[in-house]
Amino acid sequence: MKSIIVGGGKLGFNLLKILRQRGYDATLIELDEGKCRRIAEETGADVICGDGTELEVLNDAGIIEADIIAAVTGKDENNLVVCEIAQSIFHIKSIARINNPKNTDMFRKLGVERTVCSTQVIANLIEYEFEGGNCRFIQAFDRGNMILVEISPVSNNGFEEHLVKDLDLPAECTVASIIRNNEVIYPKADTVIKKDDCIYLVTNHANYLAIRKNLHKGGRFNEKHKK
Amino acid sequence: MYVIIVGCGRLGCTLAKELSDADYDVSVIDSDARKLDMLGSGFNGLRVKGIEFDVDILKEAGAEQADCVVCATPDDNINITAALVAKKIFNTPQIVARINEPKKKAIYDSLEIETINPTEISAFILKSRIEENRR
Repeated sequence: MKSIIVGGGKLGFNLLKILRQRGYDATLIELDEGKCRRIAEETGADVICGDGTELEVLNDAGIIEADIIAAVTGKDENNLVVCEIAQSIFHIKSIARINNPKNTDMFRKLGVERTVCSTQVIANLIEYEFEGGNCRFIQAFDRGNMILVEISPVSNNGFEEHLVKDLDLPAECTVASIIRNNEVIYPKADTVIKKDDCIYLVTNHANYLAIRKNLHKGGRFNEKHKK
Repeated sequence: MYVIIVGCGRLGCTLAKELSDADYDVSVIDSDARKLDMLGSGFNGLRVKGIEFDVDILKEAGAEQADCVVCATPDDNINITAALVAKKIFNTPQIVARINEPKKKAIYDSLEIETINPTEISAFILKSRIEENRR
């Protein structure tokens, strides 16, 4: 696997270090000579000094043999052009960093599907931390379209002593796993939820917010059965 | 005929005034308000300050009705991005971009963006002037 990183800022530099630690062949392209020298000295990696949106520079970096290119400069227009070049000229996979969350939609409309917007990711994480209570966001998949959520402990949520199949959860939500006394349980429809269980749900952003709201009210399940 | 000019440098500004004087509907986008001031009080087109390739900014400049978008900033990547947004999001009938770094022509070509290369044109004109003098 050979990868090319365009942009030698903090993200590009650390990406290069991690990829090399994991044994991948990675080349970095950066415009600033001073940064290039520092990165080359510190990592011992191949660093190309030049504009990563120029064909000559990309060829020098070995784009012909590369499997993937990561565009992680601080400017969205540069990252977009790198991805457009990778797709239309070299037909290799690309991944773009998006600096301004507002541009995410534009990247998608222009055919750049694999993007990461760290600003958005961090903002979501902060939002999840704020009002979490015992419901906590763990991990995002598919660039945030699917998320893993932890409810711990389940006591006082109205979940305990109920079968998994009886839990009143939104349709777009699945109980993925249960941790009980440090043991992993793979839940089936007839698994009973216990008081100190920690349960993991796979869902999406909208349903996560809905579940969290219901937990604050003592659980939708509880309310229904009180009536 | 409605023309949007992206980038109000010497080229964009001159073109905007020319087109406006010739009774075209013109709007000009630049992220630098001082550049837009270069258009002067005589310019009666629309001035929009903002990120040149931003979808909302282009919309504000009238990209949904525009017959032509000219990308004339001094940054090739901004020109390419703005041209792609005009082409793929607004389906603008005619798009012309200015090439700054002649090496990047191949990139514009592969993305099917029509270009002009002022450096090449100036060099060509200068060369023919020099040749004229030699005769």
